[in-house]
Amino acid sequence: MSPRASFYRKIIYLAAVSLLLAVLYPVSHPSTSGGDPGGVLAQVRHDHQLTEAQLGDIDPTGETIKLATFGLRGVAANILWTKAFNYKKKKDWTKLSATLQQIIKLQPHFLVVWRFQAHNLSYNVSAEFDDYRQRFLWVIKGIEFLKQGVRYNEREPRLYSDIGWFTSQKIGRADEHKQFRVLFRDPEDFYGVFAQDPVYPPSARPMEFRDNWLVGKDWYARAEEVAEREHVPVSEILFYSHRPKCQMNYAEALEEDGVFKEKARQAWSRAEREWNEYGNRELTVGRGQVIRLNDFEQYAADVAKYREQLEAMAPGLRKKLQEEKRARLSKAEREALDTPPEKRTQAQWQLAGEAEAKLVVDHREVAQRVTGSKRRQALELAQKLRTAERLGARIEGYRSIVAFPWWRMHAQVEQTPEALAARELIYEADEAYRLGDLVTAKAKYDAGLEKWREVLDNPRFPTLVGDGQYGRELRELIGKYQRVLDKRDEPFPEDFILQDIIDRHGEPIEP
Amino acid sequence: MVVEKPVPEFWAWLPWALLNWGLTVVILAMVAVGLGFLGATLRYGPRVAWQKVLRLLRAIPEDLLYTSPRRLWALTRLAVKEAVRRRVVVGFAVFIVVLLFAGWFLDPTSEHPAQLYLSFVLDATGYLVLLMALFLSALSLPSDIRYRTIHTVVTKPVRPTEIVLGRIFGFTLVGTVLLLVMAPISYAFVLRGLAHTHTLSAEDLSPVDAEQTASDAQAKVGYTDRVRGHRHRVQVEPVARRGPTEVVRDHWHEWTVDRSGGETRYRLSGPRGMLQARVPVYGKLRFRDTKGFDIDKGIDVGDEWTYRTYIQGATEAASVWTFQGVTEDRFPEGLPVEMTLGVFRTHKGKIEREVLGALSVRNPRTGLTVEVEIFESKEFSVKQIWIPRKITEFSGAEVIPRRQRLIDGSVDITPPPERMNPELANRDEFDLFEDLVDDGTVEIWLQCLEGGQYFGAAQADLYLRAADAPFVLNFLKGYVGIWLQMVLVIAFGVMFSTLVSAPVALVAQGGVMLLGFFKDFMVQLGRGELIGGGPSEALVRLVKQENLVIQLNPGLGTKLVKMFDTVAELFIRAMAALLPPLSDFSFVAYVADGYNISANLLAVRTLTALAFLIPVALFGYLFLKTREVAQ
Repeated sequence: MSPRASFYRKIIYLAAVSLLLAVLYPVSHPSTSGGDPGGVLAQVRHDHQLTEAQLGDIDPTGETIKLATFGLRGVAANILWTKAFNYKKKKDWTKLSATLQQIIKLQPHFLVVWRFQAHNLSYNVSAEFDDYRQRFLWVIKGIEFLKQGVRYNEREPRLYSDIGWFTSQKIGRADEHKQFRVLFRDPEDFYGVFAQDPVYPPSARPMEFRDNWLVGKDWYARAEEVAEREHVPVSEILFYSHRPKCQMNYAEALEEDGVFKEKARQAWSRAEREWNEYGNRELTVGRGQVIRLNDFEQYAADVAKYREQLEAMAPGLRKKLQEEKRARLSKAEREALDTPPEKRTQAQWQLAGEAEAKLVVDHREVAQRVTGSKRRQALELAQKLRTAERLGARIEGYRSIVAFPWWRMHAQVEQTPEALAARELIYEADEAYRLGDLVTAKAKYDAGLEKWREVLDNPRFPTLVGDGQYGRELRELIGKYQRVLDKRDEPFPEDFILQDIIDRHGEPIEP
Repeated sequence: MVVEKPVPEFWAWLPWALLNWGLTVVILAMVAVGLGFLGATLRYGPRVAWQKVLRLLRAIPEDLLYTSPRRLWALTRLAVKEAVRRRVVVGFAVFIVVLLFAGWFLDPTSEHPAQLYLSFVLDATGYLVLLMALFLSALSLPSDIRYRTIHTVVTKPVRPTEIVLGRIFGFTLVGTVLLLVMAPISYAFVLRGLAHTHTLSAEDLSPVDAEQTASDAQAKVGYTDRVRGHRHRVQVEPVARRGPTEVVRDHWHEWTVDRSGGETRYRLSGPRGMLQARVPVYGKLRFRDTKGFDIDKGIDVGDEWTYRTYIQGATEAASVWTFQGVTEDRFPEGLPVEMTLGVFRTHKGKIEREVLGALSVRNPRTGLTVEVEIFESKEFSVKQIWIPRKITEFSGAEVIPRRQRLIDGSVDITPPPERMNPELANRDEFDLFEDLVDDGTVEIWLQCLEGGQYFGAAQADLYLRAADAPFVLNFLKGYVGIWLQMVLVIAFGVMFSTLVSAPVALVAQGGVMLLGFFKDFMVQLGRGELIGGGPSEALVRLVKQENLVIQLNPGLGTKLVKMFDTVAELFIRAMAALLPPLSDFSFVAYVADGYNISANLLAVRTLTALAFLIPVALFGYLFLKTREVAQ
């Protein structure tokens, strides 16, 4: 090859490189702090708020490592994930922690990594330890991991919400929650629960508010704030229920710790208020419909009112229609309906079901049979009734997801003076029993049961006696009472004060 | 420390290893000769081929015997010069850069910081040196051949053995120097990374008995300040001038007190006890079932990792370690026992304390068993229990026979009932060597005392800490492991480079390295023991996104896949047998966990490396000999 040809070839290469650079520059040159918005890619990133600075803290270490993998970030992350699984399997916690730190340097904005591995640390790794203090330490390590994630992903409400969940539920609902809550409140913060917390440093939180439920609630509040600000789609019914439920759990935990009277009442009162605020919040559900959980009562009232008006326009018509429909049923269907449910055969069950569907009288059917000038009004009423029923049923469905009416009633019941007194007396009775003072224990149980009677008889809560949750709790309480009586060789009273609870919900539960 | 692959005893291992090696080498040599003959036949016809093979076979002993140390040294120097010319120092520069930025990835607040730092430096050094060895060895000869610079060597009166060995020795020399420089730097890095101290002031301490007023006449306790996420409890006796703090995160500090000038000042040393090299004496583990009969393994509690098996609490079940060579000369004061346990709870039990266990010492001949310690379990850390020479404090003593079910269904009881002497246990004091050790043999029993709870144990979980070796020496032994890996990689690299071009040699050598590190996986794959099947079945599952455990749909396709895998497995098994077990040469876990690398382990691994080196070098020589360039 002649030197000239070689020279020309180099010139061509240079020209090609320059051409490619000329095309590349407008597309991908970076933005600068001097005001240059950068190339097309940089602007798109900025518009969609995807630049590192917009996502959260910039991590020079992570960026260096990503560059050092020479484009093999995916491969490196895969290898590290496999290693992390292996270390977990072989219970090498030191190396597991170190590997997780490497993974997040490679994938700082991959949300699942933070959530999965934080859960791994707080729930799976912590469970491997026999010492409850070590278990607590690893729960905190999981929370710390999430806090680290928040620093790099400031706009992700799910990470804030997870911190709220781990802080409140993992610590407050574990088998060892009593011990965990004590460690959480440790004045010296030995496990670093509040250390290096950018949002809630220890100095910003007085000792009495260092409760895992309250701290969890704060994180949920942050999650709500971020979700609203960033318009991140979340499952709103559940997402917004966590914060007020934390307040309920806080109030419960106070009583479990032996704190009653005004402080407990205030906690319950606040719980009711926050639950009510949640009920009044506009929540987006399904395909973008907006509902409010507290609207159900209004729809229920509307249904009752419209129904009454419709019935008044044609008294007895609905019953008559139903009888007509019944007359049209086949003999076999009628027989199936008349047979008591427990004696029905398989075929009769099916027939009875079909027959019941045929007997339903639609409001429109009633309205259409109204004659004269009221017919038009009746048809309008039927339409309103149908709409109110449908909307009410939809809200009721969503309310059942979070047991909305139950929690509202719970907060209302618990702040009554009778309930507060009942819980305090029962707590004192339990303590007396623990210390072996059976006389005091029995006296306190007797007094506590009397107070429970008053709570159950409160006309504000007519459904309380039949409530399954309270039923179970009271059966456990009666079981403890029975234990004291047994130890004192005393018979169980024949006219027991909560006999209706036993009759309705079953035998006492042995403690 | 977890020992998943126990190291065999050198002298017991040697005869079998030699026999195995000899057979493999003979078979390989025969295959090589056969293939060489076949190749030559295709090229020159059988008659010439036969002559060539015979000539080659005659030349081998000559080349080997007449290899000149002087020429070998010259070629070694040449390889060294070449390595230096190829900027081997870049590897060193990368090492320094890695160490400079390592602080970003290492968490000094870790529960076991020494383990983290040590495994990091040893792993990083290993990877860098092996990469360097890979590039140097695989690229050198092919580029010499390509650019014909090899002619300046082969035209001189040198033998192919000298060229191959010269390269191996030269690159090894370069790597050794590099390792010798890296070792002290790594050590300094670890020391610097772990160095810290705490402060303690008189106000941090309060009297042990809070009822009394503070005065100098009684012991005081308190905590140091928190550094790197931990603090130490300190107990200061009234007249003591120095003493240790409590052990936290594998270390302690020595405090000294200065009471001059009417003021009390405390000073704490740097961390102590972090870098250790325990010399463990391992026993042989067996288990007792809940009815008191011997079994090989304990209960499987469903843990994915089956390293430990478990014993049930509050039953006769026990983990029993039998130690031999326990003599008064070795342990004149008593037995220093160290153990790590697995704990499995089936119910909450007492949340605020760990599960109770008991440690007993038993004489295997008389059956006298003395329960020397009741303790609370502690997982994932080493628990130390001292069994004194004179045992005066114990929680129980009885004579317990060993019951073994024999193959014929009968039960062997040791000692037999007629020779059992329950009176042996009716004493207030026992002498370890007179009453419990029988001819250097003693049993240590571990039992769980709580019903519904389980203790897990593996052979290496309980040992006698015979002594402590110098840590620096152990650290250097860790480097010997890296050195052995490096020599093997160089030898394989040089061998491949005598046969194929540079890129192919690089890929082949990279493959050997990768597969060598995953040899255990290859062996399992070759035996068809992996869940999800062989290579083609795995491919089918990947493409069809099928779970590993579900059966493939029966049919011709599946049959073909299985047939292909059966053939592939044969090939993989043969390959796996020829691969060097590179991960076995890594002693990182020993150094990082603080256990001495025994002479036995070093001897076994060194000989294993040599067993690979000899045939690899020989093949390298043969390949070069048969290439035209060297003739």
